[in-house]
Amino acid sequence: MKRILLLILFLCLSYPVSGYGQWKFFEHRYKYELKDVLKADRFVKKDGYWEGYRDGKLVGYVFLSKDWTAKLVGYSGKHMETLVGMDTKGVLTGVKLIFHSEPIVLIGLKEKNYLKFLEQYPGKSIRKDLSVGKEISMDAITGATVTAVVQNAIILGSARKVAALTGMIEYVEGPERKVSREYSRLTWKELLDMGALKKITVTYKDLGIEGRGVYIDLYFGVITPPSIGRNILGDRVYAETMKSLKKGESAIVVFSRGEGSFKGAGFARGGVFDRFNISQEDRVYVFRDMDYRFLTEIKAEGAPEIKEGGVFIVRARDFKEARPFKFNLVIPYRVGGKKEFKAFSAEYRVPDRFLHSAK
Amino acid sequence: MSDKRFNRRNFLKIMGAAGVATGAGVMMPKEVLLARAEKSGKGRQRYEVKPGELDDYYGFWSGGHSGEIRIIGVPSMREIKRIPVFNWDVGTGWGITNESKKLLRGRNFGDTHHVHGSYKNGTYDGKWLFVNDKLNNRVARIRIDYMEVDAIVDVPNIQGAHGLFPQRYPKTEWVVLNSEFQTPVPNDASNKKAFLNPQEYYGMHTIIDAERMSIVCQVMVDENCDLAATDYKGKYSMCTSYNIEKGVTISEMLASDYDYLIIFHWGRIRDALRKGKYKRVNGVKVIDGRKGHSDITLRIPVPKNPHGVNISPDGRYAVCCGKVSPTVTVVDLEKVDLAFEGKIKPEDCIVAQPYIGLGPLHTTFDGRGNAITSVFIDSTNVKWNIAKAIEAEKKGPEEKKKNPHIVDVLDIHYQVGHIMATMAETKEADGKWLISLNKVSKDRFLNAGPFKVENDQLVDISGEKLRLVHDSPAYIEPHDCIMVRRDIIEPKVKHRHEMFEHPLAVTKNSVERKGNKVIIRMTANAPVFGLQEVRVKKGDKVTLIVTNHDEIIDLTNGVAISNYNINFVIAPFQTKSVTFTADKPGVFWIYCTNFCHALHLEMRMRLIVEA
Repeated sequence: MKRILLLILFLCLSYPVSGYGQWKFFEHRYKYELKDVLKADRFVKKDGYWEGYRDGKLVGYVFLSKDWTAKLVGYSGKHMETLVGMDTKGVLTGVKLIFHSEPIVLIGLKEKNYLKFLEQYPGKSIRKDLSVGKEISMDAITGATVTAVVQNAIILGSARKVAALTGMIEYVEGPERKVSREYSRLTWKELLDMGALKKITVTYKDLGIEGRGVYIDLYFGVITPPSIGRNILGDRVYAETMKSLKKGESAIVVFSRGEGSFKGAGFARGGVFDRFNISQEDRVYVFRDMDYRFLTEIKAEGAPEIKEGGVFIVRARDFKEARPFKFNLVIPYRVGGKKEFKAFSAEYRVPDRFLHSAK
Repeated sequence: MSDKRFNRRNFLKIMGAAGVATGAGVMMPKEVLLARAEKSGKGRQRYEVKPGELDDYYGFWSGGHSGEIRIIGVPSMREIKRIPVFNWDVGTGWGITNESKKLLRGRNFGDTHHVHGSYKNGTYDGKWLFVNDKLNNRVARIRIDYMEVDAIVDVPNIQGAHGLFPQRYPKTEWVVLNSEFQTPVPNDASNKKAFLNPQEYYGMHTIIDAERMSIVCQVMVDENCDLAATDYKGKYSMCTSYNIEKGVTISEMLASDYDYLIIFHWGRIRDALRKGKYKRVNGVKVIDGRKGHSDITLRIPVPKNPHGVNISPDGRYAVCCGKVSPTVTVVDLEKVDLAFEGKIKPEDCIVAQPYIGLGPLHTTFDGRGNAITSVFIDSTNVKWNIAKAIEAEKKGPEEKKKNPHIVDVLDIHYQVGHIMATMAETKEADGKWLISLNKVSKDRFLNAGPFKVENDQLVDISGEKLRLVHDSPAYIEPHDCIMVRRDIIEPKVKHRHEMFEHPLAVTKNSVERKGNKVIIRMTANAPVFGLQEVRVKKGDKVTLIVTNHDEIIDLTNGVAISNYNINFVIAPFQTKSVTFTADKPGVFWIYCTNFCHALHLEMRMRLIVEA
């Protein structure tokens, strides 16, 4: 018996090993205080945010992004935890990074570049369309497009959710409408004419670079209505896509012609598509390679050949496909040796005929 | 032909002579190019696959004595991937990891000839591939979702495991495997008389359970069992036999003027199994299928030394190629039951024996009533109409001499072996593309030394005429291929493994010691291994288990141990393990071999072996 016990002891000999190798090297954690992002002398904890008071008067709100947009993850696959302050009018008062593991060191950037990128937020109103490449400059972290796009979505997404909760911004939401399951055969021209597909055209002139005509013609649309999806994707890809959707998920199609690329290469190793996202009300949705299915041709009669295409699944259940949303495109280009970015967007709404009437 | 010294030149002379005798006075249409210069449509399909476009077909190629399978996109002919099967693959670690060693059981060489997919109702179901190993007499199964081997079955009592075909209807429950070389049964030198006497060597038609990957039974025959086919009704399987003589030299094998297409009756095989009419040899149920001993087999005489047997997509005809005869033999499968019942003679099942060319080897189909046969000595692909061949046979020798069945003849480069059209081994044969797997490339590619690769030629068969559109070099040495429509395979293939399908999947890094056995459990997450260093003692038996925790598509990691001759790759969410003895003291870098990240080079750790 004693021998057996000894043997068991011997068998169990193992030594502890240090955590997860070198992951710590990529992790950056910062200490914070609530007043770092809002000048207030008293903070009152609420559900998911703090109210900030100065001289007894409510002056704004402070919140942690992971309470609101934890699903938004960067190049590292991890959420960039951000502390955000906002006044009662919806103007950002401060933004502080408290944790991230974005490997910006890989593209020759330093931590201070990242912090500098965040310096442009205070003073900006969340009621405005703050998109990367327009109001939000990428100059400080040029090249880290995934990080920038996701960080922007984290700040705005969180802020708009808090703003909505505190009654600062209001939605007049129409009654919930459902996509019709009816199918009719439609040609390419018909789909375009009725707005089932929307188009963003970027010319060389828009970018101020050498070249004639169109740099990229990008088309997008919701594909869940069979009259849109089946006509564009063909029966097989449509059926397979719909079968792969879990309850509450939606799917859009994006494809393009011309020299420019909406897919870029950011998703190849990072998994995130950094050149486009969609936004609806206070929410921003970015896509990862797990949400993507390669598309090489458009089946609708009369459709042109395409250069790039994909079906993208919107995983988040709070996206309402029957309500308007915006497609945001960021095009990187070069002027001389310098990388520049320009943003474009277009609004989309599923044509009425593909929706059941509101009750 | 009793001359013991035999060379290739003589061999060709014999085959040539036979051809001239039958084919005298025949005018062969040799026109290759189409007169109409259509840009697309029938006979003018677009074969260019532009950057960013995908192929229409998954091609699965055997790898011959490379022992592997290859996935080739058709029509672009781009090699997409190689699947190691019976070979060592130092890149993926096949033959190095514990998982693959368990399947290979110490045999890292193979000779794959025929790769076929699993079926449901006469067409591919996209679940599995099966392939033979002629060298070490095995069958491997590849699961299509991961495109990796998941089972290998060793087949005893045989040599020359050659023709392989899965059941086509109602679904693949059985896979048949033919043994081309007759051997004593059992072949262990225990029976001295049989051991020395070729008349007591036997061929085997082995039936394998596709799901369990175990042997159902073997049907023993006197003849050798060469190429294989199954019908479209789940009633029969078959083999061609070129050595009914039981010869052990070429001259002996060529002695008889006829050989057989042997048909195996599955209902009667099931009866024999049920009634216990078998003996066990090396643990396998062996059923006697010899002529005069059994009602399981039917022997249809065909001209001497036949080669391939292929079934028309409508399921009606078995087309058996002559090889040494310039003809093919068309067997009406609807008559086979009558022959089994003894109501007609076996040869009465033959409905046509048209002239094709010198050295017909294999036949494929366009799904529009035409067959295309590879012709080895002539170096041609011959397109012919099955109905017209049958009609001419009925009308008699005068009509036959006019060769009304021949539609087109295409010169290929050079000496074609197998031939395969898209979906041609299914009821959904679509007549789009054809691959001519040519054994000799000669002058078709830049000279890369005395040992030359093969030439797989792509042929547009969508029109009346055959149109050669592309040459692709093929390294050692595909024999056969199938081309499966993209929509069948694509939905089945996964981007990442199910992590916990592997019982050893690692979620926590640890090093555990049990006596002199050390188990290292580690995660990999580009660009970081879960451990920075591991200390072991010289002589320790070390097992390294690694799980890739990156779920991003295409983020594969490599794990290599310097100077320890170990390397393997792990795809997203995959786990692999390797066991080795730490017999060299010192510091050894374990590093990532598969480019994973901008810090790929920094993805490394130390194995410290203390003296």
